[in-house]
Amino acid sequence: MRRFGVGLILWVLANACRAMGQEWLATSQTHGFVSQGFVLTSANRFFGDSEDGSLDFTEAGINLSTRPFGPVLISAQGLFRRSGEVNPKEFRLDYALADYTLWSDVQGRAGIAFGRVKNPYGLYNETRDVAFTRPTIFLPQSIYFDRTRNLGLASDGGQVYGEYTTAWGEWSLRFAVGWPNGIQDKEFERLVVSRNLPGRFKTRLSYLGRLTYESPAGSLRLAITSGQVRPRYDPKGANPFQAGETTLVPVIFSAQYEGEKFTVTGEYALRFVKLRDFGRFLPDRSDTGESYYLQVAYRILPKLELVGRYDVFFADRDDTSGRKFAALTRRPRHTRFARDWTVGVRWDISRSWMVRAEYHRVNGTGWLPVSDNPDPNAREKNWHLFALLLSFRF
Amino acid sequence: MLYGEDFSPTVVASPSVVVDALSRNELRAIFFMRRRTWPDGTPIQVFVLPDDRPLHQAFCKQILNVYPHQLRRAWDRGVFSGTGQAPIEVETIEEMQEKVASSQGAIGYIGRDHLDASVKAVTVR
Repeated sequence: MRRFGVGLILWVLANACRAMGQEWLATSQTHGFVSQGFVLTSANRFFGDSEDGSLDFTEAGINLSTRPFGPVLISAQGLFRRSGEVNPKEFRLDYALADYTLWSDVQGRAGIAFGRVKNPYGLYNETRDVAFTRPTIFLPQSIYFDRTRNLGLASDGGQVYGEYTTAWGEWSLRFAVGWPNGIQDKEFERLVVSRNLPGRFKTRLSYLGRLTYESPAGSLRLAITSGQVRPRYDPKGANPFQAGETTLVPVIFSAQYEGEKFTVTGEYALRFVKLRDFGRFLPDRSDTGESYYLQVAYRILPKLELVGRYDVFFADRDDTSGRKFAALTRRPRHTRFARDWTVGVRWDISRSWMVRAEYHRVNGTGWLPVSDNPDPNAREKNWHLFALLLSFRF
Repeated sequence: MLYGEDFSPTVVASPSVVVDALSRNELRAIFFMRRRTWPDGTPIQVFVLPDDRPLHQAFCKQILNVYPHQLRRAWDRGVFSGTGQAPIEVETIEEMQEKVASSQGAIGYIGRDHLDASVKAVTVR
């Protein structure tokens, strides 16, 4: 009986596909990537035991997409990732969505997408795990934190989008409503209540939107991103904290100029963070974090690119030195800021292979993963990081 | 001329495509993979040569007025975020001509001296 059921489903599917003129086959594609990194730090841990040199940095993904009929696109990507204690070994469904272009003509298009959709956040978030699309081995950590990366990655819900071309440039808007992935991660809990306790954060409906302007030839791009995420704590058992509420509101201004040889990129972000009702061990708090970076890439040869960046992070813009925080908590000041000078080189060996090397000189430990560096007093304020990455794509 | 390529690119489509002329903006929307269907609903299939081919570079700079790396970045962004697809890459102009001629809803480009009756030249306004 079951065999008959499966046969019937296959028969129906086959006929549906034939009815669609086999467009789904003609338009289906698959792509993927594998990257392996090496990280060495003078102090502090980043992506594994990096003080002794860590290979604990692997990213791989494979995706499928098809246009079964006319304006519909269906796509999904599976991801494998290993990065220190934050993601010891993770398989995830990165995205799985159906996208319907409702309107499309000479001037632009508009549509909706449903499913697990990547969050429109700044310039790099949607493809942040694909080394080929990143400007450096590690994204500027002040804005694209690797420790809470899952929090911003994707949401289960829907998105509306619109693109409109005028004589003086193109405008596009993406607005997402959904339940963000990664709220339940222990790294997020460690960040808020400082340790791993019984219970987890729960996801609630969140909003995110990005408006982008692109100049006519696409050489200048300006964007503004904002949204609201409100994770609620659900403590269990002997947890000393109460069912508190966090509200995160990021605002990001992005600008990028892309010429034949030079690409200049800058982003500025404010993060409004509110903690409420966690009980007497964590008084209500309201901080504004501030981050920015400026990055210049230069293509000396078509296959060889140099990049330099200065990236700044402040956990609280009213306490950039961490002095007030240290007085209040007896924790080191340097856990509240980070200034990162980066230089790197990218060599595209062939269409499918790329290698990269980069060096970071960092002052501060503000964005280090708590899971990899559980004792804040054991962190070192000034440290160096060197990384190599080999990446393959198809 | 290297490989006998003519570097003055001409936009071509399969003979059944309902469009004879496109504005530069429409052509950009198609090659940036933002447009999915022709006005009659047929899915658009985009064909390109590899990034480093002189004809591809000439097509990007002269016809679309963008750099090849801008196109590549837009395709990667679509493919790896699930919001778009990549064009189909072919190795030679001959293969491009053959694929555009035989695939439904196809668009691509060839050197002007390759133009024949198997494909339809598309005017760029």
